[in-house]
Amino acid sequence: MNDINSGKELVNKVKNILKNYDFEIIASGGRSELTRFAESYIHQNVAETNLNLTVKIINENKIGTVRMNNIDESIISKNIEKAIEVTKITPKLDYHYQLLKPQSYKIKSKYSKDTASFTPLNRAQLVSQLIKEVNKKGYEAAGAFTTEESTLLVANSEGVFAFDRGTKVDFNCVITRDNSTAHASFIDSDINNFNINKITDELLETALKNVEQIEINPGVYTVILSPEAVAEILNYAGYTAFNGKMIMEGKSFVCNNQGKKIFPDTITVADDPFDKLTMPLPFDLLGYPREKIDLIKDGVVKDGVYDHLTALKYNRKCTGNSLSPESASFGALPFNLTMKEGDNTIDEMIYGTKKGIYISRFHYVNILNPMSIQLTGMTRDGTFLIEDGKMGRAIKNMRFNTSVVDMLKAVDMISKERQTKEGFVGPTVVPYLRTNNFTFSSKTSF
Amino acid sequence: MKDKLKNILDWLEPKVSYADLRFVQTEKENIDVENGILSSYNVSTDRGIGIRVLTDGAWGFAASNNLDKASLQETAAKALDIARASALTKKEDVRLAHEDRHIDTYITPINKNPFQVSPAEKIDLLVKATRMMLKDKVKKSEGSFSFYKTYKIFVSTEGSVIEQTIFESGGGIAAYAIGEGDFQKRSYPSSFGGDYATRGYEFIEEMNLLENAGRIAEEANQLLAAPPAPTGITDIVLGGSQLALQVHESCGHPVELDRVLGKEISYAGGSFLTLDKLNNFTYGSPEVIIVADATVPGGLGTFGYDDEGVPASKSFLVNKGKFVGYLMSREDAFKLGLPSNGAGRAENWNRIPLVRMTNINLLPGNLELDELIGDIKEGLYLDYNKSWSIDDKRINFQFGTEIAREIKNGKLGKIYKNAVYQGITPEFWKSCDGISSEKYWHIWGVPNCGKGQPGQAMHVAHGTSPARFRKVKVGASK
Repeated sequence: MNDINSGKELVNKVKNILKNYDFEIIASGGRSELTRFAESYIHQNVAETNLNLTVKIINENKIGTVRMNNIDESIISKNIEKAIEVTKITPKLDYHYQLLKPQSYKIKSKYSKDTASFTPLNRAQLVSQLIKEVNKKGYEAAGAFTTEESTLLVANSEGVFAFDRGTKVDFNCVITRDNSTAHASFIDSDINNFNINKITDELLETALKNVEQIEINPGVYTVILSPEAVAEILNYAGYTAFNGKMIMEGKSFVCNNQGKKIFPDTITVADDPFDKLTMPLPFDLLGYPREKIDLIKDGVVKDGVYDHLTALKYNRKCTGNSLSPESASFGALPFNLTMKEGDNTIDEMIYGTKKGIYISRFHYVNILNPMSIQLTGMTRDGTFLIEDGKMGRAIKNMRFNTSVVDMLKAVDMISKERQTKEGFVGPTVVPYLRTNNFTFSSKTSF
Repeated sequence: MKDKLKNILDWLEPKVSYADLRFVQTEKENIDVENGILSSYNVSTDRGIGIRVLTDGAWGFAASNNLDKASLQETAAKALDIARASALTKKEDVRLAHEDRHIDTYITPINKNPFQVSPAEKIDLLVKATRMMLKDKVKKSEGSFSFYKTYKIFVSTEGSVIEQTIFESGGGIAAYAIGEGDFQKRSYPSSFGGDYATRGYEFIEEMNLLENAGRIAEEANQLLAAPPAPTGITDIVLGGSQLALQVHESCGHPVELDRVLGKEISYAGGSFLTLDKLNNFTYGSPEVIIVADATVPGGLGTFGYDDEGVPASKSFLVNKGKFVGYLMSREDAFKLGLPSNGAGRAENWNRIPLVRMTNINLLPGNLELDELIGDIKEGLYLDYNKSWSIDDKRINFQFGTEIAREIKNGKLGKIYKNAVYQGITPEFWKSCDGISSEKYWHIWGVPNCGKGQPGQAMHVAHGTSPARFRKVKVGASK
């Protein structure tokens, strides 16, 4: 399914088999290639071509879903028969299932021919360049470099037909020399925006400072979070607090705080496919157009994001955040989390901090308490003291147990600069943040 | 299919120092029920071929769902191109530990094929169980089942031809008591989707879901009204389900040799169990014996051969507290001059084998549960995982559990909510001074162990029985 015409052919194949039934289909596929390196050599190097077709059949308000990666007509037909059989024995839904009507879409995924045609040798050459530079300083490099081209088709028997094609470049790297480490990452649709020299410089600059780490005691600190760290925190908040299904079930922080001004005026968080720095999908996996949804606006808690099933069940509006049928029981996730920029440069933020900690990155974050969005996790790859407005000594890694709500309430500086980082669905666009309430609970030995 | 694979292998043979091809076909059935109503019923079939080649001393791997002759040849050629690109940065040629040629077939022994049990019967069981849990403040209940049948063919240039059919069954139920600004969850038989095994539908029948649904709903209601767990240093007993996760995170991952060698450092992290510590490090108390055993019947990490064609085996990781072994693939085992212990596993046809857990089992001790608890004056009994986190060398960990019970003068007392405990891995395992007997031992299936880039979710398991740990830092999430 490389183009819209082959997408149409696939839909017609399904239509011909399912003449008397309502249906929804999702076809997703493409080619993904990943070069992985460690100890300064390429140790894993892979490519995958695949196409998955999911067909959901709606028969007298009963649903059966089949998924396959063989789209021969006879196989599709056999699988569809299986799904029809399922609808004959399954109980009816406790709400009326409705199919989406045809929609129009305002945006497209970003696509780069150069990304799509980037070869294993091209990736290996860039990795080799980085390795040579960091080796000169005594560091080893490890990381992953992905280039991919993907297609997505969503259609239904009411006439919805949505086809999209996109590309992605995803690079991450850690360099190490004994306990001195640093991390850098890059995500974009266009390989032409990828600058290996810039990444190399960034890695070495952090790593050369991240040496002879000292121990500090756990406690509540003022911290400056890098965009990488902010993105991780924000994605967990999006996952646990802004899932409309959890809100409807009374299991989210949003339940008791909707409409309340909880945070400073400067805190605005949205699911925004129109943000210039993100990589949008034009539609969700039911075919709803993606929209900008305010989650927190000027410090006020607004609402979450809703999938098709939750919207039908609780009489809400679907916000264009439906997931695949396999993940549908989870509810919805923000696809393109964004946080509004502030007025400060990162240098001003550091200069204005008498005593604090700079956090480059987190490791193994998890949710402790969904209602307060209390998270736990570790720092890694560069945590530094800030003293009298200057970045100072590197510190050993620390465990944090901190509430995102308390943390955001105490944000007093936000950078003008925002960066695009990996997200749970699509990328996350976030600035640096300074908060005066961040709790470290214990330390580790490195 | 075997002939197709052999044809490609013949084409590759003169061009490579080693190649293996894997055809994998998986049938899956998944059922989700919420509050007595079916929320989703999905069936899927997935198949494809992964081709791994070693040429110019470096690896290349390409995979495709397109199985026609031309496409397979194209995929094989792609794997060669990729290997040549990998060679650009190589330091030395990749070498593999010796493995005998195997021509064999393996089928999971099951009593009741889950795909021959009617969907209606399965749905009905979940509908009943989830309805039974809707009591008092339990406003949300959920239940799910998943069944897998995976057929694999492995062929290699070393002459191995291995066919395996693996059946897996699993599921569970959960009750959510929801109050003003708080909710509490109780799961059965384990958290995060229940328990899984390489067994047939008999595994589901033995879970006795209906007999336990009411009890966990009651516990969820009690938790909602319960005080938070106390903070301080105390003795704890970990129940089997939570201990399985403890073994997983603080032993299973750090003994993966690829992590130790730095191959996962940029993503999942490294390990504190560095090469100098092998046979030279006290990991835990003399009570602690941990094995990797892919042969134990029914374990979710049980199979005939790993995805490098190495037979399933049992090996010691920790013996009477001493660290004695790693989990190894053929490539990593060669670096230690050892044979692979059969831990090279791939999630599917489109992923390469990585060093993965199999069944990582803490062997049982000889205490009755009453004796384990009876020797604690003041402490906590903690079970069923709620949250988990551990640093990138697997040293500093923190876990939360669904339920905590007070232990006072050797007896179980009141319920606490939101309990967490924290520790440093070797210190924690050295504080273990009692493990309950085989009577309480169970192999817990974990179907979602994540690792690698691109990500791979592996099916692994952990045999545990409740165990006692002294002077552990505990507290409550807020």
